[in-house]
Amino acid sequence: MTRYFAFLLLLAGPVACTEVTSAPGDCPTFCPNGTIESKDTIFTDIIVRDSSYRGYIQGYQAEAMTAADIPGVIDSRAFFVTNKISTDTTSPLDSTTRVPYFADSVRLSLIMVRRDTLATNLRVKLYALPVTADSTSTFFSLQPYFAGPVVDSFSVGAILSQPAIHDTVGQRLYGDSVFWTDSAGHVITARDSGRTLNLIWHLDSLQAPLVAADSGRLAYGIRVAADSFATVAFSTLEAGGQPALIWYFHYTQPDTATSTPDTVVARVASRAAQFDSFVFDRAVQPLDSNLTVGGVPSARSLLRVDLPAYIRDSIDVVRATLILVPVAPVLGSPADSFELRALPVLADVGAKSPVTGVLTFKTIIHLNSADTVRMELTDLVRNWALDTTQTRSVMLGQVPEAASYPEIHFYSSRAPAFRPALHITYVKRYPFGTP
Amino acid sequence: MTRARGRAGRAGRAAIVMFAAMVLAVSPAGHLAAQDSQFGIRGLGTPGKWESVRARSAGGAFAPFDAFSALTDASLIDARRLAGSITGAMSNRTVQANGSEAPLRGTRFPVFVVAGPLTRRIVVGAGFSTYLDRTFGIGLQDTIDIRGTPVPITDQVTSDGAVTDLRFSMAARVNRWIALGGGFHVLTGSTRVVATRTFGDTAYRSTTARAQVAYSGKAASVSALIDLTSGLRVSGWFRADSKLDADVLGKVVASNDLPNSYGTGVQWRLGSELTVAGTASWRDWTASAANGHNTFNWSFGTEFGQLGSGLRLGARGGQMPFGAGQTAPTEVGLSGGVGKQFSAGRGRIDFGVEHLERKGTGLNERVWTFLLGLTVRP
Repeated sequence: MTRYFAFLLLLAGPVACTEVTSAPGDCPTFCPNGTIESKDTIFTDIIVRDSSYRGYIQGYQAEAMTAADIPGVIDSRAFFVTNKISTDTTSPLDSTTRVPYFADSVRLSLIMVRRDTLATNLRVKLYALPVTADSTSTFFSLQPYFAGPVVDSFSVGAILSQPAIHDTVGQRLYGDSVFWTDSAGHVITARDSGRTLNLIWHLDSLQAPLVAADSGRLAYGIRVAADSFATVAFSTLEAGGQPALIWYFHYTQPDTATSTPDTVVARVASRAAQFDSFVFDRAVQPLDSNLTVGGVPSARSLLRVDLPAYIRDSIDVVRATLILVPVAPVLGSPADSFELRALPVLADVGAKSPVTGVLTFKTIIHLNSADTVRMELTDLVRNWALDTTQTRSVMLGQVPEAASYPEIHFYSSRAPAFRPALHITYVKRYPFGTP
Repeated sequence: MTRARGRAGRAGRAAIVMFAAMVLAVSPAGHLAAQDSQFGIRGLGTPGKWESVRARSAGGAFAPFDAFSALTDASLIDARRLAGSITGAMSNRTVQANGSEAPLRGTRFPVFVVAGPLTRRIVVGAGFSTYLDRTFGIGLQDTIDIRGTPVPITDQVTSDGAVTDLRFSMAARVNRWIALGGGFHVLTGSTRVVATRTFGDTAYRSTTARAQVAYSGKAASVSALIDLTSGLRVSGWFRADSKLDADVLGKVVASNDLPNSYGTGVQWRLGSELTVAGTASWRDWTASAANGHNTFNWSFGTEFGQLGSGLRLGARGGQMPFGAGQTAPTEVGLSGGVGKQFSAGRGRIDFGVEHLERKGTGLNERVWTFLLGLTVRP
């Protein structure tokens, strides 16, 4: 009998020991005296020794190149230079005789990674540039070539308004079995739900000459136009989607041994851009006492945060927002709004401070708006409060960097009325032990 | 004869195994509280009932005369051999507040007593009991204004633990009709407190604060047990407690006065099959907390059958020490239970059930508690 009781106890123990102890609180009458108390403070003097630096990424190193034409605001033009191609070959009869290539046509393709889908009558225009165009080229040095005749152009909107063609041959020729085309042979294929377009030109030998003196290189500039706010961005070498072209050419192979006519040999060769960049009609502004982010070459701003000791010791941060006041709106197309990113600094050594990508914080900068910029830094400030060994600095940068003309200027700590601030919502330490 | 002795021996060993299992079950968990109450949240806690299952099944009326209740020290004099007793309680509580009901459940081991004679006239004892239960959890939903915007929040504060009374006591028979007792008490224990706030807006991170609050204090108690006749016993006791210090990370964060308590009881054996008893006790909690009250508690109970092994019935009433308003919350209850000796009197198992009704300003509680006690004389 006793043994059965013992077994019963052991079996009943786990069941009996389950507990439900929580009930809705009837506060303050039947709640603990200590309450969870939230506070909210804007720390206006917490950001100190803030600085800006320029020159991290050049325009030709960017992941995109912008072409834009917004009268009175910006005129930005993309350009690229293709790789070399042989312009002749050795005669099979005589190793010293060179047989020249003759270009038949070129299929040029560019990837348009960003465009304003609201822009109407968006036209892309191709200009011939000298193959000497490089990183030293400026808007004004290339201006004569962009003032010249247009090699070719087409309206993106007009082509896309045509019915899409579903043809498996497109898969082989253009990389997609669904494509749009016009009577002139321009082709567009779409990726990423239509946000990314692949533009394909078919150029003849006059539009794409095979010049031996240029080692077969070609250079083109791109301008855009629209009824309003024409702005697009093309993928670049750095993004792995640089302009590419396919040469279609032939040469004549002489046949002197028989009475048969010479043989015409057709060939195809692919070449990609070896250099791409963009230029615009806005001079690089020297850094001043304000904080600058973005532009070309790219600028970044380093903010150092002097966190009060009591934030580290006595409170739990539940939300932290960085407040930045722009000096002026960034002018441009609304489609050129960009991402402002804050990256925690691993070690504060000034301009070359290494940053970590483990925690990133971002907000969108909308162009033509003077609104105060707010960026959530909650996780970062919580980290700073918990781990006092961390460097309490953050680097502000544009994403993608140096890919477009906009740059934003914020008031720095040198402007007391508009200096950067940190808006922190925190919970005070719970009063443990008080009845 | 030999077979009977062997059977008794096996049963005795089984009783010891059961007893050891229960002690092992208690020790690691550290749950030593009685059933708690929402009335104790805004105060020092809910005072424990220093009663064995036998005493508690009779409304607590036998506690001053029961060697295995932790109420008085003089009652230890009835422990004629080394013995130990443990009490287990599983309570189901319904809390009514703000027009809503919440069911709660808890399992506790509120009393443990070991006692045995040192000499023919002196008995020593030790054990622990719940002094103040501080196990509770409350959830609160509200909307607060942050950054100029209303933000829904959910607060959860849970406390798990108790203040335990570790007792070292002695009882001495002065003469044939009077026994005196005294005890030294160490108040110890801790609570694990977790406070969490969750925001309805995901822009705000949840915040959780955890701490272990350790409690310490001291107390001394004296009591007397007087046999007026062979069937009539009277008991009186007094206990003085020091301050209760609450310590977080080695720093005393609160120090609260604890009450003096005193009481008296009478037990009358009406023949060999019927015993009745009654008690009255007083405690002054007004200095302990802002919402503290003086309390008076009474109990009345009876036991049918052999002493310690019969059917028990009882009633209790009185006041709770902490509550809103000018008057103390009240507590009334009925209880009953049975006891059964086994192993030739080496062990006793007690079952009991208790129903309590607590009423105070803005809050009512109904508590059903199922009690299990085991007493072993190895």
